Formats: sequence, structure tokens, C-alpha cells
Amino acid sequence: MPSASSSATPAATAAPRGGLALKLVGLVVLAAAVLSFPSMAPNAFILSVGVVIMSYAVLATSWNFVGGFTGYISLGHASYSGLGGYGTALLVIHTDINPWIALLLGGLGVAVLAVPIGIASLRVRGASFVIVSIALVLILLLVFQSWSSVTGGSNGLRVPRPFGTDVLRPEQHERFFYIHAALLAVALLCWWLIDRSRFGMGLKAIREDEDKAQSLGVPTFNYKLTAFVVSAFFTALGGGLYALWFGFLDPIFQFSILVGSYMVLMSLLGGIRSLFGPLLGAVIVGYALEYFKNAYGDTQFHLVALGLLLALVVLFMPDGIIPAVTAGIQRLPRQAASIREESAAELAEQRARKHAASDVPPDERTGKDATNISAHIQPENADETQGARS
Amino acid sequence: MSLVFQSLVLGVLLGGLYALLAAGLTLYFGVMRVVMIAHSAFLILAAYLAWFFNRETGIDPLVSLLFTVPIFFVLGVTMQRTLLSRLRPATLTMMSVLLTFSVALVIEGMLGFVFSGTQRRIRLPYGGDSLELFGANIPVVKLIAFGMAAVSLLALYLILKKTPFGQALRATIQHPEAARLIGINTERIAGYGFGLGLATAAIGGTALSLDSTIYPSLHWHWIGPLMAIIVVGGLGSVPGAAIAALVLGLGQSLLQIPMGTTWAQTIFYVALFATLMVRPQGFFGGRLAQRF
Repeated sequence: MPSASSSATPAATAAPRGGLALKLVGLVVLAAAVLSFPSMAPNAFILSVGVVIMSYAVLATSWNFVGGFTGYISLGHASYSGLGGYGTALLVIHTDINPWIALLLGGLGVAVLAVPIGIASLRVRGASFVIVSIALVLILLLVFQSWSSVTGGSNGLRVPRPFGTDVLRPEQHERFFYIHAALLAVALLCWWLIDRSRFGMGLKAIREDEDKAQSLGVPTFNYKLTAFVVSAFFTALGGGLYALWFGFLDPIFQFSILVGSYMVLMSLLGGIRSLFGPLLGAVIVGYALEYFKNAYGDTQFHLVALGLLLALVVLFMPDGIIPAVTAGIQRLPRQAASIREESAAELAEQRARKHAASDVPPDERTGKDATNISAHIQPENADETQGARS
Repeated sequence: MSLVFQSLVLGVLLGGLYALLAAGLTLYFGVMRVVMIAHSAFLILAAYLAWFFNRETGIDPLVSLLFTVPIFFVLGVTMQRTLLSRLRPATLTMMSVLLTFSVALVIEGMLGFVFSGTQRRIRLPYGGDSLELFGANIPVVKLIAFGMAAVSLLALYLILKKTPFGQALRATIQHPEAARLIGINTERIAGYGFGLGLATAAIGGTALSLDSTIYPSLHWHWIGPLMAIIVVGGLGSVPGAAIAALVLGLGQSLLQIPMGTTWAQTIFYVALFATLMVRPQGFFGGRLAQRF
């Protein structure tokens, strides 16, 4: 591992430009693939699957604003997509404003609503945050099922379509596919901008070690809350768009923990620290879900498959596919950026390995030891860490 | 008046069951800092096993405890040793939530796959009997369920307070590093603690199967209230969880009179949000709870 660093320096100047060109080409290919999908789809069903996968990609990318940057894993993001869907639908039904403005208003409404929810749930770390996110879905399910005079209850809510009846089904799918793709592009752009900003740096510091981030002067609470609200806003837009496309809302499916867990699984599988991780995950998981639903029909078997996949990802690939692949590429003799992103978990593991090598008993398996300060300032460790990084 | 009294009694009986289940959740959190989403899925699994046992043999479902409690204990130890201890320590809390969530999904899916999604109910000869107590009608099955919960909680208390194992377990909960320094094998203790927690799910599930209709996705109705209870009580505090369980169970039962069963459930979530706003570490949690 450390030997790679010495041979890597000559390529240092060429790498950034080549990397940029490669990235641009990749982006163009990706955009072309997405845009040409509707014309390549053999029939309307495949096209509708494409819309579903796009919708998942929007939701997973939106989830990744809070999950990827801050490391706070929300299992209850279905609450925001559901609220966005119902908000948009109710606005379209009860007022005669333009459906697209209704969509935007629905998203903004959910963002406003996310402020008090965020204040309540972000006051506590990890575990309680997840509990609150689950509780929120369950409470919304209760409310939307029981309050049938407004929401239609368990009978569901029919949403008028934004395009006239003269637009046929395949045409509808095609249009919604492009709209979803546009929303996805906006969400990805926002993620990318945050990723490069000082704000994003602060968020990532929170993800790796919230106490240290706070002691360095990062306004952790405000940062977390902002990321949370942005995430809720995009999730609500995704939910609203889905409502307009699908034309029917049922509380059981809108406020389902399963939908929230899809977002988590997709993002984790692709890689929560990568821009395109959630998109990749959405394509894989979305396709798998449709496949299982087709192959096993109404049985509960898709739950087993989903559960097993999630467990495998959590146990063996918590960083996701994209980081695993890029790490493989970086093994090739090529200079990486001078400052690499490394998670606290990786550092802890490196440190434990080094301790084991130098006959010091390995760090015990507790989270606390990961932030052991003495390991940082040991001088003989310092160069070794540097070597291991590059 | 008798209606209120009846609700009070039923609330206490329900609270007892909540308390037992929340105690299990608290144990997991104490020994491993793990939020065990699959707890209620195991609860439903135990209820299904009791129902299946009763259907196949015709023997009282309570007898199934003889098998389910040891099996669940071993399952808990295995799960801790083979799954949860593999997670990276720095991300343990978050990843354990996802891992136990996936376990819950697998259990729900398998239950649906094996027993189908049909609603099931055990027919007991004493299922409809009830006891007249100061004008309140108390179903016998609810009394049995409460009795089981009370006995198990007492046993849990005695194990934790009086046995060397319990002492080691409490030491592990309070301060893992210090516990290791004085020679406690915290890894093994954590495994046993997990097994103990899962054993409470076996008892709770059997108690549940006596008087309620079960179906695979029922566990979502339990996990919300249970999670709310351990947050209100303070993560990691067994007495806190028990008190919160009784109070909220009682509240739910009393609110059912004016609000109906569905809306009464919201008390758990209201209490959860109120707790996080007023006292994020919970009402009985100490230093430990604030960090998570």
C-alpha cells in the first residue's frame, strides 16, 4: 500500500486535465443515454419502468443531501415524498392553478414543514434521528388514512393529469420521463455545488466527527438543518411529480417505510459519498424491484430479496459500488488529488492495523477509540499515514 | 365512570406488555448501542410460532414458550456474534439500524411467504372469558399476558441485579472499557445481553398471540410505539423504559374513549416529539442517551 505513493508522482500534472476530459465525456454519454432511452424503449411498459426508475433516482439523490453529506440516515423520507404528492394533488384538485406551480408550492410547503421536524429530530444524534424519521412515516400514515374527508383515506385520491386527454399513455410516459430527468439534473447540480462549497465541507466534517467539527467552529446545527430542508424539498418535488404522473395516491404506498428504505438502499449501494451513487443504485435496485414484482407477483418474496440485498450492502459494501470501483482504478499508477476524502471509519481501521503491526494491542471495537487523539500526534505515525493515503 | 376504570385497568395491562418489550430494546441499546428495528418483527415471529404450535398440536400456545425462549436466546447471541459485531465501530449506530431493518424485512417477507398474508388468530377455550372486577370487565387473556410480562420483568430485574452475569452486563452497559479492564469479556456479555433481549420478544410475542389477530406486517404497528417509549424513557435506561411504557400505555387506553383507537395511537408520537423538544435525552436517561 505505501509503495504506490513513490511511483505515482510523475503523472501529477497530466492527471487533472485528463480526468476532467474523461468526466465530461462520461457526463455527455450519461446524458445521451438518459435522453435517448424513451426512443429506444420497445414498448410503453418498459417506458413506464423507466419513469419509475427515474423517480427513484430523483428520490434517492434527494435523500443523499442529508444522508450523504451529514451521515444522518433517514429511513422515513417517504414522509416528504408522500406529503409532496398529497400537497400537489390537493392543490390541483381544490384550486385551479397550474399543476406545475402546484408542484412547486407543494415542495415549498414541505420544506417549510421540514423546519420544525428537523429542529426536533436533529437535536439528537444517530439513533434517535432514525427513530423520529420512522415515527414520522407511521404517524403520517395514521393521519392520512383516518382523515378521509380531505385525503380520501384508504380509498385513495385520484389526481387529475396535467396533460389533456388527447395525450396518449406512451406520450405521457415519455414526457414525464424527460421531466423527471430534468428534476434529477437540477438535484444533481445542487448536490455537486454543495459538494464543492465550504458549506459542503462543513457538512462532511459533521459526517465524520460531529464533535470535532463543532470544536472547529462549524455551525453544526444550522448546517444540518439546511441540508435536511433542502433534502425534504427535493424529495417532495419527486413525490409530487410521481403523483402527477401516476394519477393516484394511496396512503399505504405513499407513507411506507419501504419507500424510505429503497432510497437508503439505492444510495448506499451506489455510494453515498459520490454524486452519481444514488442514480446508479436507483437503476440497479429499481430494475431488481420491478423484476421481483414481475417474477414473484403478489407474494412477499420481494421483501426477502430487498432485506437480503440491504444486509449484504451494509455488511460487505457500506461505501458502495462507485467508491469501490474508483479505489480499484486508483490502484493503477496515477496521482490522486493531494487531499483525499477519508472517512473516520477508514482512519480508525488504518490506525488499528498499524497498532497491530507495531505490537501494541489493537484498538478495541468501540466508536470512541476511533477518535483517539494520541494516535494523531505520534510523530512516527505521521509519515506512514501520509504514505497510506496517497 | 366504570368505563374510565375499565380503560385504566386495560391500560395498565397493555403497559405491562409494552414495558417488557421496551426493556428488551433497552438491553440491546445498552450493550451494543444498537437500535434494534427487528425487535417487533421477532415479536410477530414468536406470535406466529405460538399460533403454528397451537394449530399443529392443539396444546395451549403458552407451552410453545418452552421452545421459543431458548431458540430466540440462541438466535440473539448468533445475530450479535455473526452480524452486528462485524460492523465498523465508527458507523455502528447507523449501520446497525439498517442491518436490523433488513432482518425485519426478511422476517416479514418469510412470514408472508410461508404462512401467507392471511390474518390469523388462536382460538382458545378461555379466549372469551373475562373477570368481573369492581365493575370492570377484564379479559382473562389480557391478565395472562400481563402476568407473563410482569414475571419476565421481575426475572430480568433479578438477573440484572443479583447474578454475577447481571453485574457484568450492567458494567458493560455503564462503561465498556472499564468493564474490559477488570476482566469482563464484554463481547461475550454483549452477545448474551442480545439473547436476553430477544428472549423478551419471544415471551411478548406469545402473550400477544393470545388475544390479538396477527399478520406479517403487524410489526410496523408495534415498532413505532416501542421506539417512542425508549426515547421518552431515555435510551439505555430500563426503569425509564418501564415507566414510560406504563404511562403511555395508560394514556393510549384512556384516550381511546374520546378519540377512538386510531387517533389514540398518536399519543406515542406526540410524546416522542414533545420529549425531543423539551428533553432530548429522555426523562430518565443519563449522560449516555444524549450522545446518541
